[in-house]
Amino acid sequence: MNTRDLHRQFRDLFPLASAAALDPRQERLLDQHLRSCPSCAAEWDAWRALADGLRRIPTPQPSPRLVERTRRLAEARLSEAAEHRWNRSVLILLLVFSWVLTLLSWPLVRFASGGLLGMMDVHFARGWYAFALFMTLTWLGGGAAAALLSLQHRRARRFA
Amino acid sequence: MSAITCAWEGLVGLQGEVAQLRRGNLDALSQLIARYQNRLYRYLLRLVRNPAEAEDLFQQTWLRVAEKISSFDPRRNFDSWLFTVARNLALDHLRRIRPHSLDEPFASDSGSETPADRLLSREMLPLDRILESERSGRLAAALLELPVVYREVVSLRFEEEMKLEEIAQVLGAPLSTVKSRLRRSLEQLRLSLESRGGPGEWS
Repeated sequence: MNTRDLHRQFRDLFPLASAAALDPRQERLLDQHLRSCPSCAAEWDAWRALADGLRRIPTPQPSPRLVERTRRLAEARLSEAAEHRWNRSVLILLLVFSWVLTLLSWPLVRFASGGLLGMMDVHFARGWYAFALFMTLTWLGGGAAAALLSLQHRRARRFA
Repeated sequence: MSAITCAWEGLVGLQGEVAQLRRGNLDALSQLIARYQNRLYRYLLRLVRNPAEAEDLFQQTWLRVAEKISSFDPRRNFDSWLFTVARNLALDHLRRIRPHSLDEPFASDSGSETPADRLLSREMLPLDRILESERSGRLAAALLELPVVYREVVSLRFEEEMKLEEIAQVLGAPLSTVKSRLRRSLEQLRLSLESRGGPGEWS
C-alpha cells in the first residue's frame, strides 16, 4: 500500500472518529498515525471542530404554554387509561364471578329440589342443558352489549 | 466522582419516575415531561423542521406515552422507547404531509429563517458571542438541510448524546446501518459547510 492510500484509509475514519464511534483498535491506530502525520492531524482538527460545533448548537426550547397544555392533556389521558383498565378488570372479575355463581347455583337448585343426594348426581338432566343454554345466551348478550357500549363511549370521547 | 454520582442518581430518579408513571402517578408524568421537554422538542424540531409541527408532535408523543406506558417493559431503556415513540409519530406525519421529505434534502430557501436563526435572534448577544452564534447558526442550518435519515442520526448522537446501540434501538436498524448513516451524514454536512462558507474552520 502506498503512502497516499494509507493516509486516505485513516482519513476515511475521521467522520466516525469525530462521533466517537470507532472501536478501540481503530482508535489506537488512528491516534498513532495522527502523532506522526501533521497533514492528517490538521484535517482531523477540522473534523473535531465540526463535532464540537454540533454539540454546541443552541437547544430550542418549547414554550411553557405548550408544556403546560401537554401536561394537562397527558394527565387527562393517563387518568382515562387507568379508568379504562380498572373498568376492564372489574368487568372481567364480574364475568368470572357470575359464571362461578351460575355454575354453583345448579347444585343448589338440585339440593333445594331433590335432596342431598341429588347434588352428587352426575347425570345431566335435560333441565341442566336448558339452564346452561339460557345462562350462556344471557351472558353473551350482556357481554356484547357491554362491548358495544364501551365502543360507543370511546368514540364519543374521541370526537369530544 | 461527583459526575458519576449525579449520573447514577439521575438514572435511579428516572427509573423511579417511570415506575411511578406505570402505576398511574400524575406527578411522575409531570416530572418526566419536565425532564425530557427540551431534548424531545429539539429532536422533533430537527426531524420536522417546523416549530408548529414539532409542538403538535411533542403533545402527541406525551399523549401516546400516557396511553402506552402500561405496556412499556421496564427492562428497556426509557430514553430509547420515548424517542422511538416520537420518531414513529414524526415519520408518520412527514409521510402524510410531505412524502418526498423522507428521502430528499429540504428545498433550498436561503431567504427564510430556520428555527435556529429564530432562536438566535431572540436576544441581543455580546459581541464576543456573536461569531460563535453565527457559526452555530450556519451549522444548524446545514444540519436542517440534510435528509431526515441523516439529520436524526446526527441529532441523536451529538445533541442527545445517545450511544450507538441506543440509536440503533430508536431507529430499529442494525448497528452497521447507524454507523454508515452517521458517517455519510457527517461527510455530507462537511461538504455542505465547505460549499457555504468556503475555507474556514471546518475545511
